[in-house]
Amino acid sequence: MDELALRVAIAVIAVALPAWVVLALTVVLGRARYDRTRREQRSGVLGEREARRLVRRVSRPPRTDWGRWRRISALSRLTRAQHPSARRLLRRSLANPDTKIATAAIRALGEVGDAWAIDLLVSALRDGNAPRSRIAAELEHLAPAPGAELLPLLRDPDPAVRFWGATLLGPYPELGETSLIALTWDSDPNVRAAAVETLGRRSGHAVAAATLALLDDPLWFVRLHAARSAGNVVGAAAASSVAPLLSDRQWWVRAAAKDALRGMGADAVPALVSMLVHPDPFARNGAAEVLQDIGFVDALALESPGSPLLERIYAAGGDGLREAAELRTAAGKKRPRKARAA
Amino acid sequence: MIGDLLGVVVLVCLGYLLLTNLAYLGLVLVASIENGVRRHDTVSQAYDVLAASRFTIPVSVIVAAYNEESAISSTVDSLLALDYPEHEVIVVNDGSSDGTLERLRESFQLEPYEIFVRRVFETEDVRAVYRSPGHPNLVVVDKANGGKADALNAGLNVARYRYVCGVDADTVFDREALLKGMRLVVQDPARIIGVTSHLAIAGDPGQAMAVPPGRRSIDRRPLLAYQHLDYLRAFFNNRLAWSRLGFMLCSVGAFQIWRRDVLEEVGGYSRTFTCEDIELTFRVHERFLREGRDYEIHCLPDNVGTTEGPDTVRKLVSQRERWQRVIAETVWHYRGMWFNPRYRSVGLFGAPFYLVTEVLAPAFELLALISLPLSVALGVFGPVLFLLMCAAIASVNAALTACAILLDDLQSRTYRKRDLAWLLVLAPLDLVLYRPIIVWARLKGSWRFLRGDKAWHKFERNVRAPA
Repeated sequence: MDELALRVAIAVIAVALPAWVVLALTVVLGRARYDRTRREQRSGVLGEREARRLVRRVSRPPRTDWGRWRRISALSRLTRAQHPSARRLLRRSLANPDTKIATAAIRALGEVGDAWAIDLLVSALRDGNAPRSRIAAELEHLAPAPGAELLPLLRDPDPAVRFWGATLLGPYPELGETSLIALTWDSDPNVRAAAVETLGRRSGHAVAAATLALLDDPLWFVRLHAARSAGNVVGAAAASSVAPLLSDRQWWVRAAAKDALRGMGADAVPALVSMLVHPDPFARNGAAEVLQDIGFVDALALESPGSPLLERIYAAGGDGLREAAELRTAAGKKRPRKARAA
Repeated sequence: MIGDLLGVVVLVCLGYLLLTNLAYLGLVLVASIENGVRRHDTVSQAYDVLAASRFTIPVSVIVAAYNEESAISSTVDSLLALDYPEHEVIVVNDGSSDGTLERLRESFQLEPYEIFVRRVFETEDVRAVYRSPGHPNLVVVDKANGGKADALNAGLNVARYRYVCGVDADTVFDREALLKGMRLVVQDPARIIGVTSHLAIAGDPGQAMAVPPGRRSIDRRPLLAYQHLDYLRAFFNNRLAWSRLGFMLCSVGAFQIWRRDVLEEVGGYSRTFTCEDIELTFRVHERFLREGRDYEIHCLPDNVGTTEGPDTVRKLVSQRERWQRVIAETVWHYRGMWFNPRYRSVGLFGAPFYLVTEVLAPAFELLALISLPLSVALGVFGPVLFLLMCAAIASVNAALTACAILLDDLQSRTYRKRDLAWLLVLAPLDLVLYRPIIVWARLKGSWRFLRGDKAWHKFERNVRAPA
């Protein structure tokens, strides 16, 4: 047995020890090579031989997962180096049924960022071959801005395309207002939500009416976006319409209503005060919390301590709210006065 | 007679060693492929687009802090500085008996506020909630002590976003940590329900992370350098392979991203285990596989931060015995999954792998520790053979460790060449300088598991340089 054990031990050492040496050298030498290659890559120049190798790699269909990623990496390098073949390869990769390759092409197109790239990205958004959120992220990141190219998407028969069209129009307040208002009546709730979210960055009577109408939408996430937008579009005048959402059956809508009312500041106080006697305890809590957050409670505690209104807020918010307010005011710290006691 | 018996015991131990090392070798090969795939993925990733996009999924980061006075400010600073379009940081002070809360109050000018949240999970009483005027995305929850799982559940109650990232309070994060962690999720949020990523280790994470990647140094004190190697092996040789093979069974507590609805569905973090991370990962796998649902849990090779490693042997033993206990508790609790084809690769490979290489390891290690020297003393083996066997084990360890160092360097190029060389030199000496400590800790942990001990035994924090 000794003999066998001895042979096994020696064999293991004979394999493992050189493996360790080779791996150690690979780490140290490989790192030195990497540092050198990186310096070359920073110079932005792609050697002709290297470029040919990369083009071959992108053109060949990958057989393994590993090969697929090598192809993706090669595509990315060719694009960064602005190689003449890059555009042809990008167009082909974008149409690739492999989602990961198509996604890599999207990223690379974002780097190209010209009108040609925008066209390709918008068509990819329609095709839905690659993750649309990734395409959207690239389109938003681009300069020149692709605003006008997005308008036809609002009339697309596919609701997913209409959704992304409406969402991406956010940064273009001058574009597509009528179409967006029309989309607040869309049969698809996701499209309605996207439309009202984008309208939240605009103003005007028609926009305000469309936004407020969606506060009663049967779908909770549409109400959520409508609540967030109402504050921006309508301002404090929306407080009385948004405040009832503090008692919405969906927690997330109540949270969005709180955010919207917070954003309105002191102008929301009358609507919030009216909610302090709501039969739903969560609505009372929410109203008291927003009054606290906008600084109204602190201002009232300092200027009219013991006032009936303050007591009513404390009653709605509970001991925790009272104690927190007392601690803040005792420390002499007040939030910047967004709201003042009446 | 005794000699024959010893011979058999030694053979059993060597057989075990051979089996586990063959398994490790197989995993290293798979991990190399996964690392290559992720490396290419990283190269073609546009983090600047993700970082600026409003379509990047928002994340609630939850920090459970218990007696973390020395570390908490640097951890929260690093979390607030994360390069991510929308995230909130929820720090849960789990009834600390030191100055953790005071340190937070001073550092971030906290003010008490009342907030009303859904109580999805029952937790110990929340005493107060604080916000910071200077950091609107920071919430501090002060609650009665209930353990890390309870603190994380309290954080979940407050969390506003669809994805949550549980982190440790002794870890300092890279600015791109969340972007790196979420890069897979944004591509397929319907399927990817959990992600973890590689973390480095240092005595003082704040100092280590102050240096940019590429020029970062490794804490060269042997005890910390060996822990660094341990982490490298765990992440690069094992978890990457598990991830590729569909049985990523340990989403580490220091950085674990989960889809929030999944956590709500499985009942949040469990308080009945010594530690929460590995058990939660097992539970999620068990639930999704039992119900035949399509899902993925991944481990990424990207370095997302540096966590604090114990700088004394006593602290290290305390930490590792706890890890051993929780592994034993979890693997035993989910014994129904062992070799059960219903649980696919998790049942057929993942859970049995844990059982053999982690739970049963201390028993074999103890046997080897007793039988090998005794065999030499009784003349069953000659001292030369004994030394050759030790050299063989050390060589295999060194080769596997060098693989992990290589995979890490290929992925992140974080450390200086001379530090990498130092790690490579330390690798063959692991068997003599570091492994005995871990064996002792594992034996202690196994013993405590058998006794049903579930206390945390938190190790005392290292002394850090002033900020």
